[in-house]
Amino acid sequence: MNYALPREDVTAGLLAAAVHGFFVLLLVFGLSWQIHDPQPIMAELWQSMPEPSRPAPIPSPQPTPAPQPQFRPQPVPENKAADIALEKKKQQEERKKTEALALEERRKEKLLKQKLAKEEERKRKEELQSKEEARRLELELQHEAAQLEAERVKREQEKKHAELKRREDLQREEEELQQRMLDESLAREASQIKAKAAADQRASEVSKIVAQYKDMISAKVRGNTRLPDNLAGNPEAEFEVSVLPTGEITKVKLTKGSGNAGYDQAVQRGIEKSTPLPLPTDKSAAAEFRNLLLKHKARE
Amino acid sequence: MEVTQNLSLLHLILQASVPVKFVLGILLAASSMSWWHIFLKLFALKRAMADTESFEKEFWGGAELNVLFQRVSENREEAGEIERIFEAGFREFLKLRRQAGASVNVIMDGTRRAMRAAFQREMDGLESHLSFLATVGSVSPYVGLFGTVWGIMLAFQSLASVAQATLAQVAPGIAEALIATAMGLFAAIPAVVAYNRYTHDIDRLSIRMESFMEEFSNILQRQATKPA
Repeated sequence: MNYALPREDVTAGLLAAAVHGFFVLLLVFGLSWQIHDPQPIMAELWQSMPEPSRPAPIPSPQPTPAPQPQFRPQPVPENKAADIALEKKKQQEERKKTEALALEERRKEKLLKQKLAKEEERKRKEELQSKEEARRLELELQHEAAQLEAERVKREQEKKHAELKRREDLQREEEELQQRMLDESLAREASQIKAKAAADQRASEVSKIVAQYKDMISAKVRGNTRLPDNLAGNPEAEFEVSVLPTGEITKVKLTKGSGNAGYDQAVQRGIEKSTPLPLPTDKSAAAEFRNLLLKHKARE
Repeated sequence: MEVTQNLSLLHLILQASVPVKFVLGILLAASSMSWWHIFLKLFALKRAMADTESFEKEFWGGAELNVLFQRVSENREEAGEIERIFEAGFREFLKLRRQAGASVNVIMDGTRRAMRAAFQREMDGLESHLSFLATVGSVSPYVGLFGTVWGIMLAFQSLASVAQATLAQVAPGIAEALIATAMGLFAAIPAVVAYNRYTHDIDRLSIRMESFMEEFSNILQRQATKPA
């Protein structure tokens, strides 16, 4: 039976070993190539967030002044015509009176002797009186008409006044409404500003806590790190540490080596040994530590 | 960087739970054994083919049977399968022929039996360890799968004690567990391919040997009927 020559045994063994070596290499490098980020992502750690540019406040709408209705009171039409008529009549009357007086004197002189003339004059006087009465009546009538007219004008004016008042009321109401809206928007703006100030204050508090805990973490890592004996200088390595909310470390990844592989590994071990990390109880501050970028220097 | 990555993979395997490590060990052993046998079998079959080829050429090239027999029986250790069959058959034929009163039928029957026995032995030798390849090919995926399932079970179990589950927590466990499946497949695939290939080759060889046996029997029968 020569199933295998002794020489072939060794060759086959070596070949099998070579195949397995190839497989292990494939596994290791294939996996590490998968893991490798071709370029480590760098991120700067900011202690406090820069002020976000505040949006320009929305200009509150300027209340456009409602057009003031220019009300000019119309001159009250005077009842001139009636007055003029009255005066005219008065003048006429006076004139007639004087005329009549003069006539009477003349006639007295003349008709002292003429009784007939006297009679005539009396007749005329009566006539005149009746005429005067008629005239007075007419005058009264006219006066009444003037009064009526004045009343009508007055009423019209009152109506106009009421209308004006109503309009003014309306306008005032409108103005009040606008004023109220303006007040409200102002109040809202003020509350926004207040909230923003509170948020800013809170952010600064959080960043203070974050800084404090970062210092604590650095101190803990430093305590757990055993530096290589022959370490020269003050190398700085940067790690990305994934931290659970409980403080446990799930992953430590070197993002920027210091150039000294021994130091990097020592620090990585130190970080791994530091689990659980001290985390702030404040939730929003703790959220900052979910993916922690840790810069570690050999000496402070 | 690569050094740390290598370390992390090594860590992954070293940090695996005991059953997973055990499975990985078994698979590694099975894989190395199967690869060793794959190479051994490859060499052996190549040699058998070449030997058969050259012997048949020599045999049908009109070489003297006695001379051939002399050469083969002198260095039996280095002879090929078909040569050993020839040697066994011819030796039996000569023995029976020397015995007085043996009929042609008796001589031919004895010779055939001797050649059949030698053929069986050679076939056994050729087919040895093929069943190992078949076993590795069919079983190691399951073994790897077992390791994977176990590893994932442990990964999830460790997750139960944590308040907030993250993917990063199970990921290493699952990756480590999947190494077992990869290992199982790595052992199984070449074993199955080699098994199929080698069975086919051995079938062809056996057909060649059987036809040679029949033809050789004819030649011997002709010699037996010839007056010595």
